[in-house]
Amino acid sequence: MLVVDVEKTLGEFALHAAFEAAGGATALFGPSGAGKTSLINMVAGLLRPDRGRIVLDGETLFDAAKRIDVPAWRRRIGCVFQEGRLFPHLSVRHNLEYGRWMGGHDADPAGFAHVVELLDIGALLDRRPGKLSGGERQRVAVGRALLMRPRLLLLDEPLASLDEARKADILPYLERLRDEAKVPMIYVSHDAAEVKRIASRVVRLDGGKVTATGGAELLAV
Amino acid sequence: MFVRLLAVLGLFGALAAAPQPAAAQQSLTVFAAASLKNALDDASAAFSKATGVKVVASYEASSALAKQIEQGAPADVFISADLAWMDYTSAHKLIKPDTRFNLLGNRLVLIAPKDSKLDHVAIAKGFDIAKLAGDGRIAVADVKAVPAGRYAKTALTSLGAWAAAEPKLAQAENVRATLAFVARNETPLGIVYATDAKIEPKVKIVGEFPDDAYPPVTYPVAETSASKNAAAARYLAFLRTGAAKAVFEKYGFSYLIKPVS
Amino acid sequence: MIELSPQDWTAVALSLRIATVATLVSLPFGIAIATLLARRNFWGKTLVDAIIYLPLVLPPVVTGYLLLITLGRHGPVGAFLADHFGIVFAFRWTGAVISCGVMAFPLMVRAIRLSIEAIDRRLEDAAATLGAGPFWNFATVTLPLALPGIIAGAMLAFARALGEFGATITFVSNIPGETQTISAAIYTLTQVPGGDSAALSLVVVAVVISLAALVASEWLARRATARLHGA
Repeated sequence: MLVVDVEKTLGEFALHAAFEAAGGATALFGPSGAGKTSLINMVAGLLRPDRGRIVLDGETLFDAAKRIDVPAWRRRIGCVFQEGRLFPHLSVRHNLEYGRWMGGHDADPAGFAHVVELLDIGALLDRRPGKLSGGERQRVAVGRALLMRPRLLLLDEPLASLDEARKADILPYLERLRDEAKVPMIYVSHDAAEVKRIASRVVRLDGGKVTATGGAELLAV
Repeated sequence: MFVRLLAVLGLFGALAAAPQPAAAQQSLTVFAAASLKNALDDASAAFSKATGVKVVASYEASSALAKQIEQGAPADVFISADLAWMDYTSAHKLIKPDTRFNLLGNRLVLIAPKDSKLDHVAIAKGFDIAKLAGDGRIAVADVKAVPAGRYAKTALTSLGAWAAAEPKLAQAENVRATLAFVARNETPLGIVYATDAKIEPKVKIVGEFPDDAYPPVTYPVAETSASKNAAAARYLAFLRTGAAKAVFEKYGFSYLIKPVS
Repeated sequence: MIELSPQDWTAVALSLRIATVATLVSLPFGIAIATLLARRNFWGKTLVDAIIYLPLVLPPVVTGYLLLITLGRHGPVGAFLADHFGIVFAFRWTGAVISCGVMAFPLMVRAIRLSIEAIDRRLEDAAATLGAGPFWNFATVTLPLALPGIIAGAMLAFARALGEFGATITFVSNIPGETQTISAAIYTLTQVPGGDSAALSLVVVAVVISLAALVASEWLARRATARLHGA
């Protein structure tokens, strides 16, 4: 259960958003420039709000008044970025294992195999990110975030840099992810078709403000 | 890739850690005036051969050496080209005064490049050194601090030639650098010791400064007060032997003491 | 063709040793300072920046003299070290390591800083979300990605340290076997009658070593870059 109520001024842009997300997949939907990425970065701990609070499963991650700001590396929130951001100097396998190393968890071959199979990236394990296609990169990025055993998964426009064909390829994997991984997801996108397939709850963001929350009917506009 | 990098680093590390070769053998550090280089190298070689002690010599202007000793340089023996710099080290308690003695003497000469048209110059009061130099300069060691330069200035002053010479001077950091100027034909004239001219085939002596124009060139020797090297005393003793005398006289130095053996 | 006496080869070995030690010792400091300058803003940053680059613009003899009056036997730091720990730098090869290291340091910092600044910080952000704290983030993401720049900086520093003369001769003078590096040996030989051929031989050796260092640096940096991008 994620509770967000934050404010931030970025230059001339004022962001003031409040929303909640429970289990399953929640979409953060809105046009470009609405502040979606900034909001997600604040949840991840990569951007500091000016005011407000962020609480995840009862743990306060950020509270301006109480001067609490848990650093990103302690939040255990997995992130999938639009550009993938795979580590170029590590193999796919090592990229996937990175979260486990950093968390100090024991090896989990079964869990690893499961994620690899889920995202169909078995053939890519020994390659370097530089040698992957855009779609392959994004699948690895999802796997990497999953394998750190996050309590929340944030996906920030993960398909935006892919063409339609690639998007169509990957969407099924994301649907499988939503159904099989037991991790709540927040899916950021400006693409209504994508969101409709992935998410059941929608939070609309426009001009830095949450304008509506509800179900898929909000996507019609 | 990392393995290779580690290998390269390891190689460098080994290079750095490799012990210096002369660690085991006993060694002695001598700071000596630049003009002594060739003669003292030979004498030190004879000493090493006889005693097995390696001699590491640093040859620079006596002024530079005295300042370095003052700054804590690890010299065991100091040989200066004039009394003033030895007095300086003595005043600053840098030498063991009871080890001090005057070893050698030398003479000041006027030199020119081998192919110079100049030949025999009579150096006496009123000699026109500026005219001899023509458009070129007169190479000397630094006249403020280096012994060879100071002797040269004294000599020129007492001969009445200083005023004319001063603007034409090319000052070098020690007497061997002065010698090199003339040897390379960079200056038509130079003032060095007779012993320097003797070892450089590319220069010739064109004149000798009269003895009464400058104080006698004297090389005092002493052991430094910081030295804890037993070989220092042996070295000084060696310098007083007939064997050493022969070496120095071969190079043209005058040997000032009675040799002990 | 190459006619060098044992003393000349000693100078070569000493130069290599001093340059190697100077580079290795200053590398951790170089990386630390470069990272600080690349990533942090703090009060006095411009001043720190200026001080680091000072040896690059000061006459080398001035740097050597400053070292002499602080680290020399009678200098504030030098006297303290000598009296309390028996550590002396002046006129020792360790002092030469310091003077060469100081002169080479700005070049090293500059190269490493540029390569750290070029690293995509979004990768470090991603590592943070994956649980990497500041230290591990630096060690597993920043440092490997900065490796080509670090190699370049180290080799540049090595080459500079190898050729250092002015500061070294002022601080530790020219004692054969202890502080007489290649440059000092060549300089001394210019004052030895008939020493020109030996001087030239040493020059050839110096050029060969410097070229080898630069070639190695290029090759290593290129390999590191290729490995980075999945070659």
